[in-house]
Amino acid sequence: MLFEKVQQIIMELMDIPAKDITQETYLVRDLDLESIDFLELAVSLNAAFKIDIHDDTIFLRNLRLYLNEALEKTIQPKEFLGRKYPFLSAERIQQVLSDLEAGPVIKVKDLVSYVQWAGGKKKAA
Amino acid sequence: MARRVVITSMGIISCLGNDPQDIAAHVRSEKKVFRQDEFDPSLVVAPVAGFDPRQHTGRFKNLRYLNRGAAFAVSSAFIAVSGSGLSDKQLNRAGLFAGAGPNFDLGRECPRIEDGKICHEAMSALWMLRFLPNTASAVISRLTGVHGENLTVATACAASLQAIGEAYRKIKDGYLELALAGGGDSRLNPGGTLAYQMAQALYRGPLRPEEASRPFDRNRQGFIPGEGGAFFVLESLEHAAARGADILAEVTGYGSALDAHAMTAPHPGGCYAEKAVKTALKQAGLYASDIDLVSSHGTGTPLNDDMEAELINRLFGAKPTVLALKSWIGHLASACGAVELALCLCSLKTGVWPWIRNLDKPCHPALNFLLDFKITPPETILLQNFGFGGQNAAMVIRAWV
Repeated sequence: MLFEKVQQIIMELMDIPAKDITQETYLVRDLDLESIDFLELAVSLNAAFKIDIHDDTIFLRNLRLYLNEALEKTIQPKEFLGRKYPFLSAERIQQVLSDLEAGPVIKVKDLVSYVQWAGGKKKAA
Repeated sequence: MARRVVITSMGIISCLGNDPQDIAAHVRSEKKVFRQDEFDPSLVVAPVAGFDPRQHTGRFKNLRYLNRGAAFAVSSAFIAVSGSGLSDKQLNRAGLFAGAGPNFDLGRECPRIEDGKICHEAMSALWMLRFLPNTASAVISRLTGVHGENLTVATACAASLQAIGEAYRKIKDGYLELALAGGGDSRLNPGGTLAYQMAQALYRGPLRPEEASRPFDRNRQGFIPGEGGAFFVLESLEHAAARGADILAEVTGYGSALDAHAMTAPHPGGCYAEKAVKTALKQAGLYASDIDLVSSHGTGTPLNDDMEAELINRLFGAKPTVLALKSWIGHLASACGAVELALCLCSLKTGVWPWIRNLDKPCHPALNFLLDFKITPPETILLQNFGFGGQNAAMVIRAWV
């Protein structure tokens, strides 16, 4: 349900067919999202789900900075990223860490996770 | 010596159709294009039914930043380029000159404004692009690979004819070898029709929609808003000949002038409209008696048509055939010059000329208003467009035979 809504938003924004947008689709590597598209995506997700969108967090913007920081502080990268991106599962963080070489790692399913997490937080509040 | 400039490709999107044969067929069958407005049933409008820019350009994410008028511009430019046979390298050197109007679609762009506070929930992050006049050019450039000198002209209803005129002069004077030029516009939205209604420029009843647009008729009561777009490839004759391009017509003269009179009404004496026409004639090296056909601005407003009929009579008398294409497509605001030029090029090709509709009682006794679709093929055509703010533009083209 959440995925379909996110898929619809990306479909309309990027003018691409739904079949090209799955949970596993990379936003940058596959769909060529650029900075203004992320701007639009944040506004659209905010409007559709009535949740606060923290751009740097949802789009995993500082991922590589955090990895350096973890290294400096001698904290396990997996643990450090878990703190910075609380909406990502341990399994997903493991995937991310093994997928850094080929470019930006963010996938459609990360947006779905964020929306779910932020929705839960809102409810709790 | 100044170079000769020819038109070698065009794209048109209009309520009469998108290619010469379709348009000719729709003129002969007197296609019904005027309808009651959805938002204000007391108004008559001339929409382009079923328009979707994707049908022309294919999928492209940045179409989201085009207001409807800009979408007509981009689509017609894409058609003109697709049919031009120009290579990527040639397009890279091409200039781009676009006429653009303001986006008046306030109700849909900012659906909620309360006590001056804008609720931006439904607005896109870069909604400003839907208001910036050069957004169409940015998208055209991205889609076609045009990188040369460019200019967006925003001179109300004279804008697209002026854009084509500027492109013509840049090529004539050697600054460019080729350029894309034209425009697209739509004011068919609640904000747009409200604006012209409050300015008392629109026709309001009681006639049937098909009878409402009546340029130069004594019973005319205002214009009918329309929408659409047209773009052209202009190039130096040498450039066109070297690549074996089809030549549609030659642009031989252009002129513009400002009334410095009223904010919306034309100068009643039309002296600066006359100056624009005379400048175009002089540049073309023609006498007034050389003009075979005048495509008038002919809005159907009381003020414009009286001024313009007097102007045509004063300069040309009864000799040239007078067209008023707005009796077929309505008034396309900043795009009217480009689309009217495109319709003239279509008629040169098909021999079917849109006569003036609803001209029962001409407001001027001496003029040779066109009342039949067949005429002796004209060699030289003068186009006139006048805009709010006292903007006057005129262009001379010559049939290529």
